[in-house]
Amino acid sequence: MRDLCAAAVDAATAAGAEYADARVVMKRNQFVATKNGRVERLSDSESEGIGVRVLLNGAWGFAADRRLSADGARDAAIRACTFARAAPGKHSRHLAPVTPVSGKHRTPVERDPFEVPLEEKVAQCLEADEAMSGPGILVRQAMVRAQREHKLLLTSEGTEVEQELIECGAGIECAAARDGLFQMRSYPSAQVGSSCQNGWEYVEGLDLAGQAPRVAEQATALVRADECPSGVTTVVLDADQVALQVHESVGHPTELDRVYGTEASYAGTSFLKPSDLGSLRYGSELMNITADPTTQGGLGSFAFDDEGVPAERTPVVEAGLLTGFLTSRETAARIGAGNGGSMRADGWNRMPLVRMTNLHLEPGEGTLEDLLAEVDDGVYMETNRSWSIDDKRLNFQFGTQIAWEIKRGKLGRMLRDATYTGITPQFWGSLDAVAGRDFWRLYGMTNCGKGQPGQSAHVSHGAAPARFRNVQVGVG
Amino acid sequence: MNALEVAKAALNTVEGEAEAVAHVEHSGLARFAGSEVHQPTLIENALVTLRVVHDNRVGVATTNKLGAAGLGELARRAADAAESAPPDETFPGLAPPADPPAVQGYDEETAALGPADQARLAAAAIDAGGDVPVYGFFTSAVSELAVMSTTGLSVHQRMTDATALVVAADEHGSGYAEQTAWRAGGIDPTAVAGAAADKAQRTRGAAEIDPGVYRAVLEPYAFADLLDYFSHDTLGALGLLDKRSYFADRLGQKVFDEKISITDDALDPRGLPKAFDFEGTPKRPVQLVEQGVARGVVWDRATAAQAGRGAESTGHAPPAELRDWGPLPSALSVEPGDAESVAELAELVGDGLYITRLHYLGVVHPREGIITGMTRDGTFRIRDGKIAEPLVNLRFTIAVPDFLRDVCGLTNKAALVNSQNFYGERYPYGVMAPAIASERFPVTGVGSKPGI
Repeated sequence: MRDLCAAAVDAATAAGAEYADARVVMKRNQFVATKNGRVERLSDSESEGIGVRVLLNGAWGFAADRRLSADGARDAAIRACTFARAAPGKHSRHLAPVTPVSGKHRTPVERDPFEVPLEEKVAQCLEADEAMSGPGILVRQAMVRAQREHKLLLTSEGTEVEQELIECGAGIECAAARDGLFQMRSYPSAQVGSSCQNGWEYVEGLDLAGQAPRVAEQATALVRADECPSGVTTVVLDADQVALQVHESVGHPTELDRVYGTEASYAGTSFLKPSDLGSLRYGSELMNITADPTTQGGLGSFAFDDEGVPAERTPVVEAGLLTGFLTSRETAARIGAGNGGSMRADGWNRMPLVRMTNLHLEPGEGTLEDLLAEVDDGVYMETNRSWSIDDKRLNFQFGTQIAWEIKRGKLGRMLRDATYTGITPQFWGSLDAVAGRDFWRLYGMTNCGKGQPGQSAHVSHGAAPARFRNVQVGVG
Repeated sequence: MNALEVAKAALNTVEGEAEAVAHVEHSGLARFAGSEVHQPTLIENALVTLRVVHDNRVGVATTNKLGAAGLGELARRAADAAESAPPDETFPGLAPPADPPAVQGYDEETAALGPADQARLAAAAIDAGGDVPVYGFFTSAVSELAVMSTTGLSVHQRMTDATALVVAADEHGSGYAEQTAWRAGGIDPTAVAGAAADKAQRTRGAAEIDPGVYRAVLEPYAFADLLDYFSHDTLGALGLLDKRSYFADRLGQKVFDEKISITDDALDPRGLPKAFDFEGTPKRPVQLVEQGVARGVVWDRATAAQAGRGAESTGHAPPAELRDWGPLPSALSVEPGDAESVAELAELVGDGLYITRLHYLGVVHPREGIITGMTRDGTFRIRDGKIAEPLVNLRFTIAVPDFLRDVCGLTNKAALVNSQNFYGERYPYGVMAPAIASERFPVTGVGSKPGI
């Protein structure tokens, strides 16, 4: 791997690049999914290649080749330089200076997910699948996944880092239908469950089969539940929904490339401006958001990002005040603060982008019951079902799979089809309680889309149940 | 190696029943922001997916290591996967030999475009933006798909595609335009950027409106996006079988306005033609909606076997990694109407909204076809039958069947709108949609002003 990266970097600098980096990435994925008692998907995929990024005359070039050979490395470097030389624009791109580093990192695991026999993975899924069966359940699904990403980055500045990141995850979902109503329930999250950088002990700890009867029971009850009424009220969100709220309304808008407009043609921009740093009130004083690529088990954890910048824990919002952005070396140089550290690429054939690492809402105090106890009339919502937010990350609408009314501090009747909507700073400004560390959980999602061509990032969020006042529930 | 050779080499490593799907990609995407290229991506890749079947036990493995050792390892992993699975008595077997229809969709000139050409065509868009900074890309690619199996199936297709997409935006406004085709010569980046910049100029000074149900004209970009999302749950067989489709228990019923007829037609040379699916089954045009009546959904072999009662694959099997989504339309086409232009649709609406493009759609309720999202890059009021003042971005939460139930009209020409976003492997697809005017577009909130 090292020799190929060196050949690519040498070829690029010989072709005129003032900066070059090369990443060799070897990735393997296993995925097992069952549905209604049969194996729906059992796949084992691998992909490898080299991606070469160059700065030439101040313009970026990036080319990727699947061939892990001297020819493949050299060809990619030359094509990247050819493009950079032809690239239209003014081009005066600079990178924040970094001290070259070298190092190795591997996700610590007790039980390597790829050492777990596929038969065992199938059996886990089928057991959970069976445990969801019952009258009224139309669809039962269970899945487990594992990924190993082995990558080496070499830069023309002398950085050389090698990392092996191992992750796995699992989830179950079932659906019930009755009289034209269709309702779903998932555990531990919707959208292919939840994942973690960890060994198989993480999947075992989820206890899919143990949770399955509750999940099925709730799905069956949902098709008989009342529709969530509309109105402005107090909302308590479970940690899973808080995690997605953080992702969409804090994570993406604080990506500095979006702030500068470089995602305008697809994912969108941000309501934030560079000058908001240190002055913009994002939310109430209970809002503390931290970007932390050192979080044990986080899907956004690493020792070095894909520019070779060492991982560092960074506050993004402190006591409701915007204090940090997620940056690359280029955007850090542009804003004149920091040195990057949030650049990641979706494999060998995508250019690194500013991505969330692990973005957490720091815990507060007390229990979920404490949060509910101070609500006379409101709604408790659990597990995301739908999500949408505008291109500047201001106007959002989320729906959850299940909800309960809160009456005089206690959960009441179950409700279906709950949604809530808001404007980001106002919504976070209405935050008046976050549950304590005992209720703080890490949720790992594998479907964060950005970039053209599209890239899917894996990212985690730590969150605890949180309470928001005066929220619009329903669509008004 | 071309895709057929890759598939053959993979199949040769296996004893027993198996299928190899090979995909080859040579692509370049010159992405620009603030009128300069900032994220170019040039990709050379080839990969093969091997599906082996041992006594109805099915295992799948994929690799892009195409040497003898890599393919040998691929065969071992696929066999391991199959041995790990319990027998699946519902497995319909691998597809039989087929003779797919001849389709267009490959253009030598497009295939020959290299990095310098892609940069040049991006530059044409950048230059045409004028005073308004532009954000977007020019991309072109040649890709190949081949499916071979031990049943004797052997099919192969080469495809080209190109897209120019531009958001023209400054602090005060933004506009959007896009062109997609399988011939790059059919795309004019200058015109795309010019249209986006013109629209951006017209969005300055955007006003808010009150939530409520409005009449609305949706440009093809917006209509195609809405239809694409609606199709995920409603127009595929798995959604029908799982009862999350709006068409569940409604096939044969009038569900939309009689002006609405929708097919999935991958053979249409105006689109991005495909001859067969990822199981090698020939593509068939499928009538999904005929004059407002729900007629059908698209099928693959697995869902057809599950449904029984004479159901057959229509050639819509997805790639292996998306198999649990079930078959989905990939060449939706809405029959145009009579209106000569969007201006004529605005006259039909009289008082309402004009919407260029949608953003970040989310399915709120699949069974009811309820989708939420935002408008973006060109939202206007229609007053007295004319497109009038610009509006801020609007949140809508819409039951698509309600939107399609009372249609004022459609334009007499459809545009091809790219739907891929280029995640994963390059497999171009899109929606052929005219502009549409409807009686019902529920606005549920307001968002930010257009612009950066």
